[in-house]
Amino acid sequence: MARIIVVTSGKGGVGKTTSSASFSTGLALRGHKTAVLDFDVGLRNLDLIMGCERRVVYDLVNVVNGEATLNQALIKDKHCDNLFILPASQTRDKDALSEDGIERVLNELVKMDFEFIICDSPAGIEHGALMALTFADEALIVTNPEVSSVRDSDRILGIIQAKSRRAQTGGEPVKEHLLITRYSPKRVENDEMLSYQDVQEILRIPLIGIIPESESVLHASNQGNPAIHFKGTDVAEAYEDVVARFLGEERPLRFTNYEKPGLLQRLFGTK
Amino acid sequence: MSKSPSSLPIEIKISTVVAISAILHSSDPIAIDAALKQMTGGVSDFFEDEFAVIDVGAIAAGATYIDWRALVDLLKKYRLNAVAVRGATADMIDAIKARGLALDDGAGGDRAREDVAAASAAVTIAPASAPAPAPQPVQAPAPHTVTLPAMIVDTPVRAGQRVYARGCDLIITAAVNNGAEIIADGSIHVYAPMHGRALAGASGNADSRIFGLSLQPELVSIAGVYRTFDDGFPAELARQPAQIRLVGDRIDISSLTSHR
Repeated sequence: MARIIVVTSGKGGVGKTTSSASFSTGLALRGHKTAVLDFDVGLRNLDLIMGCERRVVYDLVNVVNGEATLNQALIKDKHCDNLFILPASQTRDKDALSEDGIERVLNELVKMDFEFIICDSPAGIEHGALMALTFADEALIVTNPEVSSVRDSDRILGIIQAKSRRAQTGGEPVKEHLLITRYSPKRVENDEMLSYQDVQEILRIPLIGIIPESESVLHASNQGNPAIHFKGTDVAEAYEDVVARFLGEERPLRFTNYEKPGLLQRLFGTK
Repeated sequence: MSKSPSSLPIEIKISTVVAISAILHSSDPIAIDAALKQMTGGVSDFFEDEFAVIDVGAIAAGATYIDWRALVDLLKKYRLNAVAVRGATADMIDAIKARGLALDDGAGGDRAREDVAAASAAVTIAPASAPAPAPQPVQAPAPHTVTLPAMIVDTPVRAGQRVYARGCDLIITAAVNNGAEIIADGSIHVYAPMHGRALAGASGNADSRIFGLSLQPELVSIAGVYRTFDDGFPAELARQPAQIRLVGDRIDISSLTSHR
């Protein structure tokens, strides 16, 4: 049975698209047939981060409007055979997405035997964000350890509880997962940032992972490769943990403790 | 994926909305404007697009002419959405209907008040010449006799969400977060950290109280008397069991642990 997962946050710039790219790649690398859909109509970011911007011919709006078939619009990922990207349109606005159209596209993806369908939501709580979350079975709530991001995540959780199809039809509630990104244990230690416990205390949903703040995310975006491909970096490992936990494996939390550099490290500056 | 629940083009369900009452003591738009300006202190989102019931009961007898259009636009300027008029006289009715406003004739007493949804906070609009209106209820509606069982909420109340326990107490066993609003005609009890806005005695019961295990609200109100916490909730009472009562026209916060 296919699972539809919305990646959302309310606030912008917290790492939704980065997380969508790495999460969907991680699922595909483990052999699951996965599609990732960019709902940020008018801006289009996902294709850049996935490094497929030059192969975009048709987009989500074309498919919703019946101007192209899904097979024409889906772009096969350059690294994984199991991963397909459906980009957003840069030339339309978010109102071009209709609920019926989205439902049809998602139903078709389910028929094409996709196991996971990841919906990368735009920021905000407007039409585009609503369209991304309406049909979700599960939600990854991307949150930075910072007050305004937490407040916006709280808001979007309330909207999921009220506006999703599952909520409207009285079905089983959308399963929520908290993904904390741009986490810096050092700044938490110095009281410059909320700890993950603080964030969880406010949002009160299960934590699926913590992605440390890292420059490798920027390198990855600039190169057009999802961060999870950069083997050995803490970010890649953290996303691998997230995917593993999502698939039901137990993984201990990592990258949450600040280790003060030891004396030798400070003297010699070695790793 | 699930199908639409119904093929009907429209579904009708009873739903309760919360509105504030704007009780007019003057029909002069300039005086009302001045009073609102003073009340909101220039905070543009003071009323956050709430629904408003215009109560003209106090001035209707004088048969003053009311420019409804100007009045609705004026309230809109302060982000109050006028939806109905209460206490109108018969000769006003055509003009009110022409503006698309509903009539709340008040004849049904408590029932009518409930139908329009009890006022969450009575806003008094006095002529500008009057001293700055202190946040207090001017009209004391007959308190509801709380006979309904309490409304119990077991899920977190999140930013942007609003819970209203009409005609009864409200008991919440999960967290109330900043940006949320919890309202009851009776008392409010929260058995988890309470942030956000809490309004007890929303239809005028001044004996209502707010109880919490760990209070840090942004605003509390009892029977329309409210208190905000710009400088933060009193530190000696925050994050511990406490109750909030109305003593005279003042909101009183006291610890529930010191009485042990």
